[in-house]
Amino acid sequence: MTASLEKGVRVLKEVIDAPIASYFNSCVHCGLCAEACLFYTETGNPKYTPIHKLEPMRRLYEQEYTLLGRLKKTVGLSKPVTDAELGEWQELVYNSCTLCGRCSAVCPVGNDVVYMVRKFREGMSASGNAPEGIKGAANRTITIGSPMGVKLPAVKAQMKHVEKDFGIPIPMDVEGAEYMVMLSSMEIMNFPEYLGAIAKIMQHVGKTWTLCSTAFEATNAGMQIGNSDLARVIVSRIVEGAEKLKVKTVISPECGHAYTALRWEGANLVGRPFTFKVQHIVEVLGEFQELGLLKTEGFEKDRLTFHDPCQLARRGGVIQPQRNLLNMVAKNFVEMPDAGYMNWCCGGGGGASAIEEGEALRLEAFKVKKSQFETVKPDRVVTACANCRIVLEEGLEHYQMDLPVVGLTEMVADHLVAKGA
Amino acid sequence: MTITDDKEFKRALASLPVERQRQIAVAFCRRVLDLSHDARVKSALESAGRADITEAELQLAAHAAHAARVDSFAQCGSDASWTAQSGHFVAKAAQACVRIAVPGESIAWDAAMQARLARTCQTVAEGLGTENTEAREQYRILETFLQR
Repeated sequence: MTASLEKGVRVLKEVIDAPIASYFNSCVHCGLCAEACLFYTETGNPKYTPIHKLEPMRRLYEQEYTLLGRLKKTVGLSKPVTDAELGEWQELVYNSCTLCGRCSAVCPVGNDVVYMVRKFREGMSASGNAPEGIKGAANRTITIGSPMGVKLPAVKAQMKHVEKDFGIPIPMDVEGAEYMVMLSSMEIMNFPEYLGAIAKIMQHVGKTWTLCSTAFEATNAGMQIGNSDLARVIVSRIVEGAEKLKVKTVISPECGHAYTALRWEGANLVGRPFTFKVQHIVEVLGEFQELGLLKTEGFEKDRLTFHDPCQLARRGGVIQPQRNLLNMVAKNFVEMPDAGYMNWCCGGGGGASAIEEGEALRLEAFKVKKSQFETVKPDRVVTACANCRIVLEEGLEHYQMDLPVVGLTEMVADHLVAKGA
Repeated sequence: MTITDDKEFKRALASLPVERQRQIAVAFCRRVLDLSHDARVKSALESAGRADITEAELQLAAHAAHAARVDSFAQCGSDASWTAQSGHFVAKAAQACVRIAVPGESIAWDAAMQARLARTCQTVAEGLGTENTEAREQYRILETFLQR
């Protein structure tokens, strides 16, 4: 056994906890999780059945933690987990799993399959079997602080541009501000207008806010690769920044996994409760709307539909605020089949879009989104995740569908009544 | 007319008819064109620069610019190249140049902003800090354009 495999197996043994043991024992092999996975439904290949993606971990569980499995192992009747096998499983655990959680949602015995995949990734990562693309992102997060290598001077350059474009100052390191706004590298690089929209909205509602120079990056590559230590470091940076600036709320950007990492796993990762609240930008906008702080004018008149980011809707339970916001600014909003809690993933979450060799499979899986769009024939798609936005655009371009994709925060900002009006 | 800030710049651009906006948008875009290596962007701009362009040709050019923009997105988790990213914003600027104008939208302003972003990316890539003189150059181009 190589040193890396030994490490991977050790980590896997450690992460097999009571929930995982009960999940393996409860599985009734019904195959419903297969029908919930876009990689299975769009390819028909049974290897993409979510529970099958965990087979090496299941065997390890059996061999280490069940009486029969131990006996079989002792007499040499069980198949050991090998490096080659984990290498082969890379495609199943990373390329063909976006951690979208649809499999967990349909499991009749309540198995959280996506939780198991997350844990399996810990072992895969420790044994060196994570894809190169995600490894690179994780390394940059350690050395630079951002999975895409975005540094503070680049953020400042974008801030300066946005300040000129929108005519609104972008605050940084303001102690005592109510909100600390996080960004994802994707927004900094591809969608700087998101920052402008935030500035416009905050000015409109009269709230104080700030960016943090030591914690502007929300993306959590540790979550994606399956490395809790790294995930903890990233969350800790944000916690330190928020506590230093004494903010009341940290706003997770339009990025799915950043939200899950900070909102649902953050406090457990750092081992103590936060001194601040964490909200996704959609939740914050929803709250502003409920409080009557958003004064909008005009309506989008074309046919719009909303793509629910999995981490926000399914894993985070945020489903209604985005619809309320859309109905505030759009006259012709239509729901896709399976919208909301059971929405189909764009195919690029969970680090999948960072895996170059997974592109062909991703585009194959995108057929499910294509079909959703074809059913309702929208003029534009609105979403609230920068990664979804890009993956959708690429899929639509691949299938030659002329369907623009826009961000919800920017759309809301576009309809705000101008100050003094 | 001397333009010294973005308020005047934006107002002057908005006052132009669509055809003239397209012409000046192309001029802004040409200043940063060397930051893109995508033939589709160049071709879209050439189309946009023609005074006799038809709506069908505009649509074709818009499709080419759109494809170039989508292909050049910085991917989640990739090792970001600000040089390549400048090309993405040139494609976005070109897309603004060939967009079929909707009342209330200023294609020239949008093209100007995207061209500035392209230049910003170049300055980030070259480690030149946040100084970006593209806005001043655009004011100068517009001043000359308005004298015609």
